[in-house]
This record gives sequence, structure tokens and C-alpha cells, in this order.
Amino acid sequence: MLELDINGKKQQVDASPLARLLDVLRGPCGLTGTKEGCGEGECGSCTVLLDGEPVNACLVLAGQVEGRAVLTIEGVGSPEHLTPLQRCFIDDGGAQCGICTPGMIVSAEALLRSHRAPTDEQIRDAIAGNICRCTGYQRIVDAIRHAAELRK
Amino acid sequence: MIGQNVPRTDGVPKVIGTARYIDDVPPLPGELWGVTVRSPVARGVLQRIELDPSFDWTDVTVVTADDMDDEHNVVALIEYDQPVLAKKQLRHMYEPIALIACADRDKAERARAAVKLHIDKQEPVLSIEDSLAAKHVVWGEDNVLKKYEIKQGDAEAAFQSCELVLTGTYRVHHQEQLYIEPQGVIARWFAGQDGQENLKILGSLQCPYYVHKALKKTFDLPDDRAHVEQTVTGGGFGGKEEYPSVVALHAALLAKKSGKPVRMIYGRKEDIEATTKRHPAICTVTIGCKNDGTFVAVKVDCLMDGGAYVTLTPVVLSRGALHACGAYRFQHHHVLAKALATSTPPNGAFRGFGAPQTIWAIERHVDAVARALGRDPHDLRDQNLFNEGDTTCTGQVLSVSVGGRACLDAATKAVDWKARRANIDRFNEKLARDGKRVRRGIGISTFMHGAGFTGSGERRLKGKVAVDLTPGGRLNIRSASTDIGQGTETVFRQIAASVSGVPFEHIDLEVPNTTKVPDSGPTVASRTVMVVGSIVGKAALEVAERVRAEMKDSGGTFAEAGDRLLKRVGGTVSSLQQYEPPVTRQFDEATYTGDAYPCFSWACDVAEVEVDLDTYETRVLKLWSASDVGRVINPILCAGQVEGGTLQAIGWALYEDVVWRPDGSIANARMTNYIVPTAVDAPPFETILVEIPFPAGPGGAKGVGELPMDGGAPAIASAVEHALSHELKWQGSLLPDLPLLPEKIFNRVRQLES
Amino acid sequence: MTGVAGILDGVRFERARSLDEAVSRVGALVSSGEPFHVLAGGTDLVVESHLAPPSPVARPGRTILDISSVPELSKIEDRGDRIRFGGGVTYLTLRREPWASRIPLLARMARDVGAIQIQARGTLAGNIATASPAADGVCGLFPLDTLVGLRSASGERAVPLTEYFTGYKKTQRRPDELIAWVDVRVPARDAKWAWRKVGTRLAQAISKVALAAVIEIDKGIIQYARFGMASVAPVTVSLPSVRALLEGRGVDVDLAALDAAVDRDVAPIDDVRSTGDYRRHVARAVVRELTRSLTT
Repeated sequence: MLELDINGKKQQVDASPLARLLDVLRGPCGLTGTKEGCGEGECGSCTVLLDGEPVNACLVLAGQVEGRAVLTIEGVGSPEHLTPLQRCFIDDGGAQCGICTPGMIVSAEALLRSHRAPTDEQIRDAIAGNICRCTGYQRIVDAIRHAAELRK
Repeated sequence: MIGQNVPRTDGVPKVIGTARYIDDVPPLPGELWGVTVRSPVARGVLQRIELDPSFDWTDVTVVTADDMDDEHNVVALIEYDQPVLAKKQLRHMYEPIALIACADRDKAERARAAVKLHIDKQEPVLSIEDSLAAKHVVWGEDNVLKKYEIKQGDAEAAFQSCELVLTGTYRVHHQEQLYIEPQGVIARWFAGQDGQENLKILGSLQCPYYVHKALKKTFDLPDDRAHVEQTVTGGGFGGKEEYPSVVALHAALLAKKSGKPVRMIYGRKEDIEATTKRHPAICTVTIGCKNDGTFVAVKVDCLMDGGAYVTLTPVVLSRGALHACGAYRFQHHHVLAKALATSTPPNGAFRGFGAPQTIWAIERHVDAVARALGRDPHDLRDQNLFNEGDTTCTGQVLSVSVGGRACLDAATKAVDWKARRANIDRFNEKLARDGKRVRRGIGISTFMHGAGFTGSGERRLKGKVAVDLTPGGRLNIRSASTDIGQGTETVFRQIAASVSGVPFEHIDLEVPNTTKVPDSGPTVASRTVMVVGSIVGKAALEVAERVRAEMKDSGGTFAEAGDRLLKRVGGTVSSLQQYEPPVTRQFDEATYTGDAYPCFSWACDVAEVEVDLDTYETRVLKLWSASDVGRVINPILCAGQVEGGTLQAIGWALYEDVVWRPDGSIANARMTNYIVPTAVDAPPFETILVEIPFPAGPGGAKGVGELPMDGGAPAIASAVEHALSHELKWQGSLLPDLPLLPEKIFNRVRQLES
Repeated sequence: MTGVAGILDGVRFERARSLDEAVSRVGALVSSGEPFHVLAGGTDLVVESHLAPPSPVARPGRTILDISSVPELSKIEDRGDRIRFGGGVTYLTLRREPWASRIPLLARMARDVGAIQIQARGTLAGNIATASPAADGVCGLFPLDTLVGLRSASGERAVPLTEYFTGYKKTQRRPDELIAWVDVRVPARDAKWAWRKVGTRLAQAISKVALAAVIEIDKGIIQYARFGMASVAPVTVSLPSVRALLEGRGVDVDLAALDAAVDRDVAPIDDVRSTGDYRRHVARAVVRELTRSLTT
């Protein structure tokens, strides 16, 4: 049994400490919004925040996060209450196939928490670990910049 | 509705993480995990499959070719040459040989390692050149999978009277689709009400009816006992056009033998290694022109590498051949196209479908001609670009929605081409004076892409769509066209709403499922909006008209009248529409003459780059793209298609390379080494949508999906050449081959200097 | 996908809470002969253990000792002319203040390590322990007169980083030692520094060639010229011939001599990412570019 703090909720999870955080989230926790695209920390689809910092959940073992706070896409907003980031990803064309979107939004969330008015360069740097094969990134950058303005 | 930026209707679940992709589907009771045992050689003869006797096989299901007779051991597509599982002859590295399923994933992996293959190795054929020379015959009698000839006029004779005749050879390489969600399906057999066995496939796929066809053939199922349903799909780009049939057949075989549901999800490495890629090609182009730059005649010799089986290669080759003469006016055309078999995994569908390969060659060659004539590459294109009324290589007269010039003009204006190029030249001189080791360059490409299936394809295909009236005055669209990210489900609703007058919010869309939706044809060939969208509109209108007639007769709101109508007719008010292609000059497949496409989409790309003179790294500083895809249904979604496709083209040009080892295996089948652009590599895009309506398309729309893949690479190459032209002098093409990896540019420059 | 939750069954997971505990546990594992792996950021080990099962890392009977929560390893001591970074300090920390201003070279280098997600997990000690010649982190530390603090149950010793690597993925670290800290020299305020990474792309990239340099010039004479270069030899190289050529001389450098010095110091090979010829060319070019920048 692991004691994990996920999306602000402390919970007992029946999983091996050697399991990847990604598998624990998607399996026993039922949080399938965190996606697996490569399994080697390259694509960023499994990005979650660990104590507020973006990490690849495929490179973190579950046993390593006991006592630390995990935030997944499921902790970022809800169908009734989209965050400005989520709204802008829809409205500005930041999501296409959507498989990179949860990780992308989590990375962007981390950026906007520390930067009120990020430059395009800062935005691109913040999502450089999230590969999107659909959009060409321009509309993702637009969405994040737009969301930063809305959050002010 | 048409022309409005309606937010995508699948947006909310995608941004909050509840969209359910195949691996997000909760496990079914008793579900097994399926894995594939693959060939470790590129060519050989399988003598025996041995299951390690020391391994505990009790809860492991194993399927081999022996579980099927030869007639059913085929992946049904164009030809029936590809086996579901190899039986004797192994034709490519990673070819599937056996399948394993086990409830315990870990054990399934160990079981995979406990299958011993006894193989007599043979020497593989790994290049177009070796296949052409018939080093070994690996397919048919001469390795030729397919060939075409296109002829208008007499190019060879015309060259004799041209003032300049220039020939160049251009090569392009494999490209991996690299959708971020790997291939995956869940297969389940179940007894129908009649007690007969039914097969259900749930999966990440583009073309449910392709999978349906394959299942019916291998398992001898009638139409109504094979059920294929698409889950939310994390990208396809062609990679999930034909390949999901293979995964589905494998999972279904395991499910049948084990009697349990089977989930097969590829890992990234397996996905890169085993699935289809873009066809490599070698094109030799000759252009004959006058000294004033007027193009007269063109000849293109195109060779494509089809890989080990036919799969979709004939169609890819056809599209490549039809686009080989580019977007330019010639009096004489001659195209010879040939696809060859090699001992590599079958190459297949990838956005552009043969056209990016030949457009690379013609665009590079137009730049070489411009250099030979001392002309600006923009001006030479401007002079020769197709106008309305001009004739293509198949004799098709361009009579409707001919937007090439509008795109060239729009891009030229946005870029301020002349001034910018002159500024860059001055800036480069300053950089040189200051001892700086970078140079800038600007490059251009103009191109067109045929929308919809080639020739009489749509006539044969008879794509269908149904729209039903549902309670509350709602419409439900049933179509097999999948949304794999492009926004199909949003634009279909926009089209239906716009044509029928029913509010957008009152239009629903059935999940593509072969049991519930008619065969609209595959989600390919930039045909979804233009072809399927047009009958979505028709069907929606017909249903709405029936409700309005009811309103007229008996009053009430649209919803009330609809409900009344449903009640009176006994529950079903529906319209099934079949696509009728616009009347054009018949395409003759024997001679490759006539109207190849009902219309073309057009574009002009301009790239500005910075090249490091020491490392030959190229940075794309900005990318302008002006595209005419007819009337735009949803500008944000449309621009997203243009930018995403263009970045895939930039990736193909500058970063992406499948590295083959001499044994036919792939050395970089990981995302750490198969390099696609990140957000810091991607340039800012300026996307201009030039709208020249196509009357037969819904609201005037044409196709957009593939077009943006065609022009990015040549525009980048053109820009890199411009940047290097301050330091180097060459004849013909400096950069005739993709990819433009720094190492390759370095080698080319060194060769030039020595 | 490879979502193989049970792949590590039979492997023990232990979490050390202090440096002493970690060191004594490592000592005990070594003396018992039990196979083990030390886990910090996981950016190498977890990839290896999960990507290609069944992997040697994941064999039953092994112990994975997690040191990612050892507080001493995240400590940073600023002693003015030198800074001692705990081995568990991440690249993201180096990018942030006050460290970014103290040693801009390390901050600039850290920006090029993977992308943010990797920078948040990857540690200085992890990069040194993995001992890849392509490691940006190691390369960035090379010009800083870096000492590697190796701690075992029997005590602590300091090894100069430039002598630490003895061959391809071979190092001076004994199995019972942990990398407790790295101690770096803070360059003079007006020191010239350079970080040039030539990778497969601009982020999430492995270096084809990377150059780190610190150069201090006094009255037109180069007093201190130290380098790190990645991906051009079986180990990270310090370009000793280039250093010898530059130190004690003026900033006007003979380029032919410089090229020759670089050639003596590197031995690049062909691999999946690049070619030996290209790497040699780039190695020369980035060193030339660096010396050019000294005169401007």
C-alpha cells in the first residue's frame, strides 16, 4: 500500500513502489487523462506536476512520490469549470487529436503559475518537452498567451 | 455557420482528460494482453517455431500461421499478398510470425522471448537501386510492384528545340508518422442473438471499413457479424489508414483462440519498427524551357520503394505520378513511375500520399532551372504557374477554383518577397563583414494537391452518409469518416447546420462504427470535407425539409413537428445519401488521361531560415503559407491543418530520418533518436487562407489535409540554398536530397569544395 | 503500451531518508554481494528498467535504493569563490536564482538538458554517475575546476571531475561510494564563458557536440582557460591541448594551431546521431568561434 497525495486528495493505493507513477495513475487510480506516448520521457504526454514542477510520470517510480503532491490533468479543471488554459486550448485551436493535450496543459499550468505574462520564447521553452504532432505549436502558443492574459 | 470559428465539439473531454482513447478503455472481464513475435531477419525462410519447453505455457495463448489456411491468411487490401502471419518466406524485418496472449503482461513479454525461431537467412534487398537491378527477386518476377506512364505531347522531341534543357535527380527518404498515440485495438468475440459468433474490434483507426473488410476475409464473416468501432484517436496522418487491419486481425486471432477479449497496444519502439512509413523515392526530372524562362516540356522518372508487400503502394505511386509535373504549365509531359519491392516493412499511407515525394523533385528542379537562367525562384514560378484554362499532364483543363496564382500573390505580398530577399542579401553581406558564421535565406514553393480519390475512384467507391431525425428536432449524422484530430465532427456539424438550417447545437454525430454507420469511404485523400461533407449537407437538408413540410401541414415548432413525424412514421426518419462526383471528363486509367481530380487545392509556402556556416544547423525563422482550399468551413481548424502539416514537412526536411542498419533493422526506433520538431524548433507560422470556392464542395470547400505536407520541404531547401549562395557556387541543385541533416549538408559542401 | 506494472516484481524498493542511511545501506549491499541500483531522478534508470523488458535492471533479487528524498543531497553551500552543490541538485534549480546569476554557464547549460520535465528530475550526480560522454551536465561542470565528493561508510574523498572518468562509462567511483556533492569554482565576475550545444534539435536533444568554456583574461593575457567537450570521445574531454595553447598567451590565436590542438584532444565516432567527420569539424568550429568571441 502506498500513501499518495493526488490532486489534493490523500489516498491509499494498492500498488508496488516500483511501478511507474504513470501506471499507478492510469491503473489503480483510474486517472487515464495522463497519457503514455513513448515511455522514455521524450514526448511529455504523461506530464504531471510533482510538488508544482512538471515531470514525466513515466520516469518516476510510485515509491518516490510518497509525501509529495501530485497534480494530474484531472486536478486542473472540470467539464463545468474549465480553466482559462483549457478554454483557450479549445477556442484557439490548441488541441487537435488531443493525446498530447493533457500533458501540454499541465506544463502550461506550471508556467503560468510562475509567469504572469510569459513571452512566446518562455512559452515555447516551457512546452519544449511536450511533443505535438498535429498543430505545428503556433495555436498552442497562442492559447497559452491568451490564457495568461485572461488569468491576470 | 460556414466560415465561423465554432469551438471543436470534442474539445472539452480532450482538455480535461476524459476523452477515452483505446488504452483508456477499462479492462474487459478476462481480458488478455497480446504481443507479437516478429522476424529478426529482413529476408529468410522460417523453418520452425519452437516454444521453449522450460517455459510454463499453460495460461499462454499462441497463434501462428498454422492456425489459418493459406486462403484466409491474408491482410485483405488491394492485393492479397500480405499474410496475417508469415508462414515460410520472411520478407521484411519485424514481420509478424506468431502471436501471444496472456492475462499477465509481464509473462506475455517473457513468453515472447521464449519463442525460438529457426530461420535460414537470405540476403535482403534494402534499396531502390538494388531492387531495380534485381539483385535478388523479392516480389513477382522483377520486383516491380506497379508502374504507370503519363504522356501528353512529345516531351523528348520538344527538348530538342528548347533553349535550356536541364536534368536533375532528387531523393527523398522514409518518414515515420509518429502519431503520439501508438497503434492499438481491443478484440472480442461474442455470440449474437442467433447464437452465431460475432467479432467486435474497438480501436485507434482512420478507416473502420478497411478493418471490416480485412476481418471479413480472414474470418469468413458476413457484413453484419464483424463490428468495427473507432475510439478517440490520437493522430493518424495515414499511419492508421491501412495498418490497423493488421493489429485488429492479430488481436482477433488471439481472442478467437483464447476465447477471451484481447488488448494489443504497441509500444513506441514496436510502432516505429513494424508499421508503415512514407515511401522513399528517387526522381529524375528534366525540364526544357526557353531562355526567357517559359517552360515547354517536362519528363519525370520516378522510382518508389514500396517495401515488402503491395499494400497501398499502387495508389501512392499513382498520386505521386499525377503530381510529378508540379503546378506549372508545360506543353509536353512524360512521367514514368515505378514502385519496387524491397525487404523493408511495407511503406504506406502518410499525409500527401506520394505527392510530397514528387513535388520535392519538381520544386527543387524549378529552383535549379531558375539558377541556370539567373532568375529569381519566385519570378520563374510566377511566369509558369498554372492559370485557369491551362492543361495538366493528364490533359485535364483547369476550369474551376484554380487558386495557385492567388496563393502566390498573397504569400508574395505578406512576405514582401522582393524587398525581403534584397534585405536578406544585404544583411548577409554585413554578417560576412562582421565575421559572423550564420547566413539567412528565403525560399519558396508553389504546389497543388488533387482533392478526393483519383480518377473514377469516388465513382467506384460510392461513399454514403446517413442523417436521422431524433427526438427534440435533432439530427444525428452517421458517417464512417473519422475525426483523428482534424475536426471532422465539428465541421460536419457546421455543414449540416448551415445547409439544413437546424441549429448547430441540435446536431449530433454517431461514433464511427461499421454496424451503425454506412460506408462513407476511408478517411484519406483530403476527401472528408469536400466529398463526404457534401453529402452530409444533402442528407441533413432532406431530413430538415421533411420536418418543415410537417410544420407547414400541421404547425408547431421544428422540434414538435419532428417528434410528430417520428411518431407517425414509426420511429425512423432518415436520409441516406450517396456521393455523386461532379461531371468531369472521364479519367481513363489505361492511358492516364482525363480529369484526375474534380479540383485541386493550391498553396504557396515561403520559408525564412538561418543557417550556421560551421555546423550547418538550420533554424526556420518564419514560415508563411498561403493556401486555397476553397471556402473555409472553420478557419481556426483549417489553419491548424495547414500549420501542423507544414511542420511535419519541416520535420521531414530538417530532422526526421529513419536510420537503417545493414541487416534491415532500424537503429533509431525511439523518440529520443527519431527527431521531430519541438515547440522551440518550430517557427512562427503566418497562415493565409485564400478562398476560391469550388461550387461542388459543401459551401464551396475543397480538401485541406494533405496539401500542407507538400510544400514545406522544398521551400526550406530553397531558403537554405539562398543562405549558402553567399558562400558557395554550384550548378544544378546544391541540396537535391532529403533530409537536410547538418551532416549531409556538411558532406555536400565538402564535396563541392574539393 | 509498456504499461507493465509488475515488471519489477521481485525487486526490492528502499528509500533512504538521510545521506548516512543511504551510504550505510550501499555499504551493506556491496559487502553482501547483492545487486543493486541507486535511483535519483530516474531519467536514465527508469527508462532502462521499463523500456525493454525483461531488462537486466529489473531482475528479481535486486534492490533499487531511492535517494531522491535525501535532504543533504539537495543542499547548496555558497562559500563565495566556490559553491558546493548536493549531488541531488536538479538542472531546474541551476536555472533559477540565485544560482543562475552566480554561475550563468551552468544555468545556460541546464536549459539545454532535455526539457523542463527532465530538468526537474535530472540531477548533477545522476549525470556524473551514468558517465555518458554525451552528458551535458558533466560537460558544463568541466571548466569549473569541479571536485566530485564521494562518500562511503568509510569516509569521504574528493576527486577532480576531469580525472573522474577512466574510460567509456568507467569511473573512479567504487561501488560502495555515492556522489554526495560537486564542488565548483565560481568564475571571476568578468570571466568569459561559453556554452554551445550542437544537438539533434533545440530541445529534448542529445548532444552531437557540446562545448563548455570558462576563460579569464587579465591585461590581455589568458590566465585561465578550461573546457568541457561532450560526445567527441569515449569520455567527456577537457581539451588539454587547447588549454595549453591558450593559457599564458594573448587572445590572438593562431587558428591552424587551434585546429591541430582540437584534433589532438578529440576522437569522435559515427553513431546513430551523427558522424565522426562532422563532429571533428564542429569541434574545431565551436572552439574557433569561442576564441573569436574573446577578441570582441
